[in-house]
Amino acid sequence: MIEQLPVLLVVVPIVGGAVPLVASLVSNRSGWPIAALTLAVHTALAGWLAWAVGTGGTIDYAVGGFAIPYGIELVVDGLSAAVVALVSAVALGLLAYARRAGPRSNAFYSQYLLLVTGLSGMAVTGDVFNLYVFLEITGLAAYGLVASGREASSAVAALKYLIIGTVGASLYLLGVGYLLAVTGTLNMGDLAGKIAAIGYGSPLVLTAFALMVGGLTVKVALFPLHTWQPDAYANAPDTVSAFISALVSTVAAYALARVLFSVFTVDFLTAVPVARWTLVGLACVSIVAGSALAVSQSSVQRMLAYSSVSQFGLVVAGFAIATPTAVVGATVHLLGHAVMKGGLFAATGVIERETGASTVNGYAGMGGRVPVGAMGFSVLALAMVGVPPAIGFVGKWYIVLGAVRAQIWPVVVVLLASTLLTLAYFAKLVERLYFAEPTIYEGEDDAGAAPVADGGDSPVSTGMLAVVVGAAVLAVALVAAVPALEQTLLETLPPLLDQ
Amino acid sequence: MSADDQPGLYVESTIIMTTVRVVSPFVLTFALFVMFHGADSPGGGFQGGVIAGATVMMLAFAYGIETTREWVDVRVIAALASGGVLTFAAIGLGAIALGGNFLQYNEYLFIYEEASKYGIELVELGIGAIVASVAIGLFLLAAGYGHVVDGEGGEA
Repeated sequence: MIEQLPVLLVVVPIVGGAVPLVASLVSNRSGWPIAALTLAVHTALAGWLAWAVGTGGTIDYAVGGFAIPYGIELVVDGLSAAVVALVSAVALGLLAYARRAGPRSNAFYSQYLLLVTGLSGMAVTGDVFNLYVFLEITGLAAYGLVASGREASSAVAALKYLIIGTVGASLYLLGVGYLLAVTGTLNMGDLAGKIAAIGYGSPLVLTAFALMVGGLTVKVALFPLHTWQPDAYANAPDTVSAFISALVSTVAAYALARVLFSVFTVDFLTAVPVARWTLVGLACVSIVAGSALAVSQSSVQRMLAYSSVSQFGLVVAGFAIATPTAVVGATVHLLGHAVMKGGLFAATGVIERETGASTVNGYAGMGGRVPVGAMGFSVLALAMVGVPPAIGFVGKWYIVLGAVRAQIWPVVVVLLASTLLTLAYFAKLVERLYFAEPTIYEGEDDAGAAPVADGGDSPVSTGMLAVVVGAAVLAVALVAAVPALEQTLLETLPPLLDQ
Repeated sequence: MSADDQPGLYVESTIIMTTVRVVSPFVLTFALFVMFHGADSPGGGFQGGVIAGATVMMLAFAYGIETTREWVDVRVIAALASGGVLTFAAIGLGAIALGGNFLQYNEYLFIYEEASKYGIELVELGIGAIVASVAIGLFLLAAGYGHVVDGEGGEA
């Protein structure tokens, strides 16, 4: 049974995603229970898989029993197991948020489960073309979810996301085509050997690297390829913002790491320094530009979106440095950022529904009106800045330590400067929440607050608050899991650079 | 400008209606032919599904989109899409239940000696059903209905 887990993680949500469509013939409110049941099973399987990988090492699976490398292979090592467990846990947790916050149609839950399918598939696959298929499933489901908002701006944001996202995925596919042309294989493990045999200097291999990594950085939303991301995050419904900000770019960054370490391998990075330094440089520009853009935003959700551009710069920098310390740090920050950013978006939803405040100035004095939401927001914001003992601190610490040990001083300077910039925009918000005179008073916001779909209920449910509090608690508690994660990563990842 | 001010898009034409009536059974047969050739010759569910979906679009051009929308129930489309996914998953998971890997067709050999081939055909039919229903569904969504913004009605 245990060896079937990787494929079940993909099949369970896709079957669950097909059921709400049939169920809507009976009732259009059956999506939530079906999604809850499916994701409960999915989370149990993902937890079991993570435990199995942690104790027994990498798990391989030949889909259809076809011989590797001709058939599709699924490979789950420590990194994939951690990412797939994150996907399950976040998707299940956010259902508690979605129950009140909506959208409530069955079609929404079908897309939600389809997105979980795509993300799980990207995490477990060991085949570069299969990765493209799941990248597209993820993308299409995410475009649909962004468009499920009721305003026209959601549709525009989704269209922009669709066009830019498709260009990114197509670049990746083109790169896969080059690799297939030069090696005749699509299996990641097989590719690593054949690329080494052909020689890292081959123009076809270099082109494939540039196209694949370039395509994935569009999906990760590194500066200057991030332009789809603030619109998509800020204009989607609150549930969707929290979901895609937590997971979609995260899994794309995982795919980038997978392509770097399992397909091209660190030998490629040492043999072609220009590739490595371009990636490090792009990441550093992204860190600085993302932070600078975040500081200048007036809408809180757009500020959080630009903050992601900066944080993913950190993660990619960690992966590109490619020493064990830096890679562990990048992974910890990747997972921690998902929890923190998802929680922050959930908190902005709570605050906006309760008070109508959505801008930095509007947040003034809201600490008293929305105590739980504001407290959760502040804890998560400080965790994101990197205040110990939160997970944000541990991730950044390892990345900086990795950069110091590798003696890449410009990166160290950028990393430390980025922490100050992060502090600049989050401290401003926390200060407004607790120490400023309110600009929106109770009663005057009723017209501006989000309308309550079913009337009568309070706009914010206990489940929604529980998601925010849970994310804040996890942002600290996850630190306890870092040693186990570090050990599993170093045992199961392909070889990394020396310190 | 509201939709009522515009002339109807649909114009009845005997030539088109007759042609479509003659051609559509052949097109649908060809769609099934392509779908059934996924296992051992060029063809498959994606191509066949698109051709099957095109049959319905052809009927919509000949007989009017509203008529077609009444004729093709949205529930049929939903059932086709879900049924396709569930067929695919059932064949895949069946192989696991018999002790193999996901979609390991040779686990079914005890039923019939060409089980591998017909297993692939069934999966292709499932994919064909999904592709056809999505193509028809997208066409019916995009055609006719105006884009509804905040419940303000459409501008077709």
